[in-house]
Amino acid sequence: MKKYQWKKRSAGMLAALLAVSALTGCGPKEAGTAGENGTAQTGETGSSDGGAAGGELNLYTWDGMFPQEILTGFEEETGIRINYSNFSYDEDMLAKLEETKGGDYDLVFADDYIIELVIQEGLAQKLDTSRMENYDKLNPVFMSQFYDPQNEYTIPHGAGIPLLVYDPALTDVEITGYEDLWDPALEDNIALTANYRVINGIALKTMGESYNTEDLDVIRAAGDRMMKLAPNIRVINDSNTQDFVISGEAAVGFLYTSQVSLAMSSRPDLKIVYPEEGLGFGIIAGFIPSEAPNADAAYAFLDYINRPENAAACFEFLGYYCSNKAAEEYISEEMKELLVLPEDASEGEIIQNISQEAEDLHAAIWDEFRNACD
Amino acid sequence: MDSRAGKSNWLLLAPLYLFTILFVALPILYMFLLSVLTRSQVWGVEFDFTLDHYKRILEPLYLNTFLESFRLAFLSTGLVMLIGYPYGYFMARMNAVWKKRMMLLLMIPFWTSALIRLYGWIIVFRSNGVLDQVLMGLHVTGKPLKLLYTYPAVVVGMVYALLPFMILAVYSSAEKMDWTLVEAARDLGASSFRAFLTVTFKLTLPGLLSGIILTFIPSMGLFFIADILGGNKIVLVGSVIQEQLTKGRNQPFAAALSAVLMILTVLMIRLYRKITGTSRLEGLV
Repeated sequence: MKKYQWKKRSAGMLAALLAVSALTGCGPKEAGTAGENGTAQTGETGSSDGGAAGGELNLYTWDGMFPQEILTGFEEETGIRINYSNFSYDEDMLAKLEETKGGDYDLVFADDYIIELVIQEGLAQKLDTSRMENYDKLNPVFMSQFYDPQNEYTIPHGAGIPLLVYDPALTDVEITGYEDLWDPALEDNIALTANYRVINGIALKTMGESYNTEDLDVIRAAGDRMMKLAPNIRVINDSNTQDFVISGEAAVGFLYTSQVSLAMSSRPDLKIVYPEEGLGFGIIAGFIPSEAPNADAAYAFLDYINRPENAAACFEFLGYYCSNKAAEEYISEEMKELLVLPEDASEGEIIQNISQEAEDLHAAIWDEFRNACD
Repeated sequence: MDSRAGKSNWLLLAPLYLFTILFVALPILYMFLLSVLTRSQVWGVEFDFTLDHYKRILEPLYLNTFLESFRLAFLSTGLVMLIGYPYGYFMARMNAVWKKRMMLLLMIPFWTSALIRLYGWIIVFRSNGVLDQVLMGLHVTGKPLKLLYTYPAVVVGMVYALLPFMILAVYSSAEKMDWTLVEAARDLGASSFRAFLTVTFKLTLPGLLSGIILTFIPSMGLFFIADILGGNKIVLVGSVIQEQLTKGRNQPFAAALSAVLMILTVLMIRLYRKITGTSRLEGLV
């Protein structure tokens, strides 16, 4: 009897153990797939209890947005402790802010199009720009954009232009624009990032259309063009896409700006192409959520990172185009080419939110395209 | 059994029931509810009943995605069965010391995160990677192959991830088997193959079946393997659900996809049971 009970209990314990190991097994997996960049380990550290005013800053953005010396420097100078929480997708951030009704976090950095929605939902607060000494250092090229035309809510923090990077040693095709990606000689040789609006946008651009067209027939035609591109695709991956080009797994990569910087710094022999059909353009900006517990700390941080020498350090680390005009002279010569926006680039078109039908169609084309790539 | 014992039994079971209701039943109900609501413009849902999301699944694109997912799940499960069954069977026939050693070999990979082990496969498969070096060293191939980000790479990853579940299930049912029955069959004139087919196989069928279920169900959802080893080029239902939840901001559609996936999986299990005529599942029921 006793023995039997023990057996039963040990079986129960075993089951519990299994369940636990299954759960722990799942954790990193999910973080990894959701995050893709596999950098979600820092987890959620944001807490809302705040403590003394000015004692804490709950910063919410992607992992690896700021160099450690800037974070530490800010903490030492102001005595404000930074709780760095990160998200992988802009949409996760929006969901979190909806849940907390604009509370819990003091400062968020995210992409332009999602900020438009955040502002629409009333989850951001109007800024008092007189509280930031360095506000006038910002580069106006990156301001007054669609998501915040009056600059009431946001401070730009870098911009990106997805570009083509290719290895001339691996292909004879001379690439000057998106059109060349369809060249049959590039079969199974292109690495793509995974934002479907950006990628489907390649096809739209070769047709001379806008990224933001809501004409479903035009989007469908772009979808047909995408299917013809499929045989040339080697891999689709949103994070560390530059690695495929660096290692030679693919001859051509369509990369985000920070990835272009990384690729060029490890392989200067690669070639950058500013596609002749036109450039895409995206801005990262910071805003203070509507119910931020420590808005003061957020202002202090925004001001700190926009001191020209600090801003230069931020952008050299981040690898995005510098949105602080005064910082440009502090950027080292070899980085300047990558971090200071070329004169004509501001002509680039920004991807904006479009009608639900158009967005759904883009998503459907994307799934079909990925399937066709195999 | 007096009533006091009954009561304490109930108390012991209560946490289990509570757990099941809170973390299994309620989320499933929530998911089904979500799947018939309307999505709001920016984020979340509005309480308007609609079946549009289910209608949308009938579009060829999503039907194909389901088909593709099932194809990969069947293929992986089949291969896992072919490798896992003999492994589990022979492991059960070993002596106690070797059983322990084999079990340890089976368990060691679990000490490392599944994700990290998958990245290990990238090192094997990538251009000029381990496999390429070996093949070129043996003069089987002349130049680096493009092995990574292909369908076979995904299948290898799936089989690798799911194999232990099959082996353990088969092992536990083969281990319990009464081998004197096989001897009896042989005594009565059955060939060893016939004895295996009529006695051993029948008696280990519950193990095989639970192995199949433990393999088939997860393989429907392990889209991260297809993402990592397939280079995002094989679209499974799981990755569509994830995409709709995040980038698409369409929770109801994601819920509807999940609901259909769940229903199809349940039907699949019923089908398996019917075909094999087994109602007992080793370790599961």
